[in-house]
Amino acid sequence: MLDQTYSIQAYTPEQVAKMLQLSKNTIYELINRGEIVAKKIGKIYRIPASSLSFLFTGLDDDLFQSEQEDKKNLANVQKEISKVRKNL
Amino acid sequence: MRIFVDSDVVISSLFSKTGAAYLLLHRSKITPIFSNISVKELKIVAKRLDIKENKLENLLHNKFQIIKLKQPIKIKDFRGYVKDVNDIHIIVGAIMAKVSFLITYNMKHFEVEKIKRDYKIILMTPGNFLQYLRSF
Repeated sequence: MLDQTYSIQAYTPEQVAKMLQLSKNTIYELINRGEIVAKKIGKIYRIPASSLSFLFTGLDDDLFQSEQEDKKNLANVQKEISKVRKNL
Repeated sequence: MRIFVDSDVVISSLFSKTGAAYLLLHRSKITPIFSNISVKELKIVAKRLDIKENKLENLLHNKFQIIKLKQPIKIKDFRGYVKDVNDIHIIVGAIMAKVSFLITYNMKHFEVEKIKRDYKIILMTPGNFLQYLRSF
């Protein structure tokens, strides 16, 4: 379910307010302070899922991406470590 | 802040410069701790994975504090903290080094709650630990 949610590309400030259990005004303040990165399109804001990475993954987007990078080789690394540990 | 690092984190840091393991070992100001048994293990693993020996040596000598574990380890004293007995030197290293955090990608091989309760050592992945550092 989290994966499905994360695949949504952008949210409205109202949706984010609900998700974070904050008021809509607080979300706009956070956008103004740069704590939530949003895109202004005309008069409305859209908040990309990557700005809310912490909500879905427990990690900021850059850290989430960097863990994913490590995970590309992890199965192989752990397999080799396991083999070596058996004979230490 | 003292952290003990599992071998999967060290090897991961040698594979990618954009991974969380690399960021943890190179960009944070923390000196990670490692044991002599882990060093032996790492050298073998690095060879098997075709990682250049000097790359590993540089990392170990420049970044880590290495503690010496007495061998053989008294397995029965620590058996309850790992799911696979072959991982026991990692938890023993963390306990002997008196760290607050054990950084590993292999959380499922450790009895996380029991370790936290008995030794006040928190297990985290590199990304989670970096996230924790951002909370200050």
